[in-house]
Amino acid sequence: MTVEVGQVRRWTRTEYQLLATRGVLPESEAVELIDGQLIITEGKTPSHTIAVELMADALRAVFGGGWFVRQQGPIALDEHSEPEPDVAVISGGPRDYLADHPARPALVVEVADSSLLLDRHHKGSAYARASLPDYWIVNLVERQVEVYRRPGTDAAADFGWRYLDVHIVAPGGAVTPLALPDTRIAVADLLP
Amino acid sequence: MTEYRPRQWTRREYHRLDELGVLPEDEPVELLDGQLVVAEPKGAPHATIVARVAAVLRRTLGEDWFVRQQDPIALDETSEPEPDVVVVPGADLDYFDGHPARPVLVVEVAETSLYYDRGYKGSAYARAGLSDYWIVNLVDWRIEVYRHPVSDNSAELGWRYLDVDFLTAGAAIVPLARPDVSVAVSDILPERLRPVRGSR
Repeated sequence: MTVEVGQVRRWTRTEYQLLATRGVLPESEAVELIDGQLIITEGKTPSHTIAVELMADALRAVFGGGWFVRQQGPIALDEHSEPEPDVAVISGGPRDYLADHPARPALVVEVADSSLLLDRHHKGSAYARASLPDYWIVNLVERQVEVYRRPGTDAAADFGWRYLDVHIVAPGGAVTPLALPDTRIAVADLLP
Repeated sequence: MTEYRPRQWTRREYHRLDELGVLPEDEPVELLDGQLVVAEPKGAPHATIVARVAAVLRRTLGEDWFVRQQDPIALDETSEPEPDVVVVPGADLDYFDGHPARPVLVVEVAETSLYYDRGYKGSAYARAGLSDYWIVNLVDWRIEVYRHPVSDNSAELGWRYLDVDFLTAGAAIVPLARPDVSVAVSDILPERLRPVRGSR
């Protein structure tokens, strides 16, 4: 990829990790690396934090052995991206990822309060490009869960990809992880 | 409402990156408005004309002015660009304790960076109130003179230069800092070196 003068410099994951270990990026700072850019992430308000915990608990209940649920941990999405989704379901166990962070979670969930546009259009496009099969947004503003599936190309999307299927589920309904088609999680249980 | 907010880098953090050697040598970057931006690479035409501009300015402006090449200027808290040539009052040692902040003249030599030098960078320089900004345009073989910074919401950083002049061979520029001297465009961009269309 040719680098254009005047463009913001893109960081690689390796460089990003170096910034963290050398203390250039303070620990307390909430940033994520998406497509080479350091993006400021959503703040941890009480409702955001609770929604993350409710989701993690619900997913741990339906996903048994053979999977683990990670909260706000790094995902090795691509050479220039290392997001920290609010909740991710990953196959295997934590020790399987000693060499490097997991790359392809079976399910990624973002809780959105102020970050709705970021989660839908920017992160959504990045996750679609990485072919993550199942992406949910817990939309705290409109009190619904948005289910995104079937990544496909779209020139208008931030990274040329987006999820072609979007399904909105209101508090009366339920969501089912793609990996566990026989389960259901009531949306009412996921909202603070 | 914008989709996302990029992390803003401060000048101090930028210096730290330099100290740690995190940024590769062969990828010139500069800090502008909190972002690390890819700078123009140093090809032969670019390097030659930068040297030329500096030599012409030194000869023309005389002893009371110091001409710096591709060294940082401390534009603001989150900006430390390295303009190709700047003119500051005094002498080299005057800037031992800190980079200059407000050069009286800034010159950028542009080949691939024309769009960026006119737009984003121009807006940053205008916002900082730099009164005399020249772009030596190697593509069209002319010097563009930008003056009179004004606020303008449609500009990248909310400021731009109101007066813009494109000058070619035969024309001369009078630096705002020294209205008694002039710089001939053809001294910096000799006609014999003008690129033939499609040759580069």
